[in-house]
Amino acid sequence: MGSDVITLFREYMGTGMLVIWFLVAVIYLWMKEEKRYLRISFLYMPLCFLFLYFNPLFARLVYEKAGDEIYYRILWLLPVSVVIAYACVCIYGRLVHAKPVQGSFFHGKNQLLGELFALCAAGILAVSGSLIYSSPLFSEAENLYHVPDSVVHICDRINVPGREVMAVFPLELVPYVRQYSPVTCMPYGREMTVERWNYQDPLCDAMEQEVIDLEVLVPLAREAGCHYCILPAERRIQGDPASYGWIRLAETDGYVIYRDPAQELWNPETESFQ
Amino acid sequence: MRLGIQLLLLGLLLFAAPVLVGGLFLKVDRLGGNLFFRWISGQFLIWAGFQLICVPLILREETFPQVVQLFSGYLTALVLLAVAVDIQRLVKGKKIDLPWKKQQTGGKLRESGMLLWAFFWAVLLFQLIQAVRLSYADTDDAFYVAISSITQEAETMYQKLPYTGGATLLDARHGLAPFPIWISYLARLSGMPAVTVAKVVLPVALISMTYGVFYLFGRVLFPENGRQQALFLVFTEVLVLFGNTSIYTPENFMIARSRQGKAALGSIVIPFLLFLLLLLLKKMQEKGQVPAVYYFLLCAVVVTGCLCSTLGALLVCLAIGTAGLLGAVCYKRPGVLFPMAVCCVPGVLYAFLYLVLE
Repeated sequence: MGSDVITLFREYMGTGMLVIWFLVAVIYLWMKEEKRYLRISFLYMPLCFLFLYFNPLFARLVYEKAGDEIYYRILWLLPVSVVIAYACVCIYGRLVHAKPVQGSFFHGKNQLLGELFALCAAGILAVSGSLIYSSPLFSEAENLYHVPDSVVHICDRINVPGREVMAVFPLELVPYVRQYSPVTCMPYGREMTVERWNYQDPLCDAMEQEVIDLEVLVPLAREAGCHYCILPAERRIQGDPASYGWIRLAETDGYVIYRDPAQELWNPETESFQ
Repeated sequence: MRLGIQLLLLGLLLFAAPVLVGGLFLKVDRLGGNLFFRWISGQFLIWAGFQLICVPLILREETFPQVVQLFSGYLTALVLLAVAVDIQRLVKGKKIDLPWKKQQTGGKLRESGMLLWAFFWAVLLFQLIQAVRLSYADTDDAFYVAISSITQEAETMYQKLPYTGGATLLDARHGLAPFPIWISYLARLSGMPAVTVAKVVLPVALISMTYGVFYLFGRVLFPENGRQQALFLVFTEVLVLFGNTSIYTPENFMIARSRQGKAALGSIVIPFLLFLLLLLLKKMQEKGQVPAVYYFLLCAVVVTGCLCSTLGALLVCLAIGTAGLLGAVCYKRPGVLFPMAVCCVPGVLYAFLYLVLE
């Protein structure tokens, strides 16, 4: 338990530099801050929260009742950004109002000294962290839904007004499908993309093979009641889809949409089968 | 044209209505009339009402349109009440404190650091543009955003599997923190797809609100120096923008996943709660009276914590309890513990419900 909490703390800290600056700011405020309400808010309370976080009894209680994955959120109670920013501005204020030594370069240039400090502090803080937009998880949005265009085009193509449809998608599209189209159902979902959850699904395995074997895929897709099967256009396929009755409906954004007529699809709007 | 109307409706729901409702909290502090204080405190009262209306309906397996009807009624009543209070206030000749107003200090107008303010607004604008322009691949959206989309489309709440779409028994545990249903409400009223509300519109509103909380901190920490307030905000921007030290920090949640309730908890609810606790401690130091409406707002923050995340109840009660005990001991005012404990009651009730439904 204790090691789990420490590991989680390390993961929360990342490089650790910003937490170090937070501790430096706390020490600075410990020495210099005179207002008691600020000492309580920025010193005593964070220390209490840290004590609680590392308290094995408290950790055991939260782990048991809320799960181990979210324990790090206790650390959200630490006002890291506010305390660091406050300490920096306090130091800036002291420099601006300080009396520099006679004859020094900064004599009479307190404002300049303060601004130099602020600039350096901002630079050090920036270098200590990492630009949030540099995360590889950020990408240019392709549309106003912030899901891949391929998902939008495929769902628009397969949806039938007034009813749900069942379709099997490649894993890279799975997390986005139901965000955009809640009427598109899938035999498996995002749970298959999280390795540590250890979900297994033979249909998913069949879909993700380097060479898709229709002999395996088609019966599994039919068993799951899939009206459509979406396959990457570049993926090699063993077997002829037409010989299994699959109709090549469309190709869009690098994916081929197959319709399986073995699964009846009633259109309530046109009152006919699709 | 249609998009313009949708954005206008969302602007009314996310900005105009909370600013009006925030007028009910004028007496909380001298900052009560401040535009940002009004916006944020008003939004908390709206969120708290949503939680109190929505959760019982979810647990009773009622339909989403019932939530829409009841919550719309609640919102309308709140706005009307707040307008009445504002009119009464205007009659008395008081004005709204605007955030960009120069502050009077010692009879002189001190330089308010226009350049720093301009820099702060420019960097904030950059972040808001990035929130619209960039997409963040987080698979948790497959749960939270899908729930919003499903609810907007369907009549039921938490009775469909968000990942696959099959029908399921009520997911009561997640139903205790129905932040995604609030997104569905915004989507239903504006006519905009829930996924767009969640991933494009909300980040703009919630990131701005986070900086609104930082601004309020700045006003309390540096009450007489606009330049230092601006510098404080610029530092918070640096810390947020370069706060990508791990995926767990509230800064990361705020920029990357602001549409998820837990992000609102980390970047808005907890900071605003810490701000309110700071105000309380300051009042205790000044031996001032704490108005009853302050505790009402604190209560709204506790309920909002429960709306955002099931862990929210624990975190907000922990913060209130710690601040209450420290304040009571340091200022020898044990009387403050009772109203603070009362504020935690909704959080304790939700935590109890969570344990029962586990």
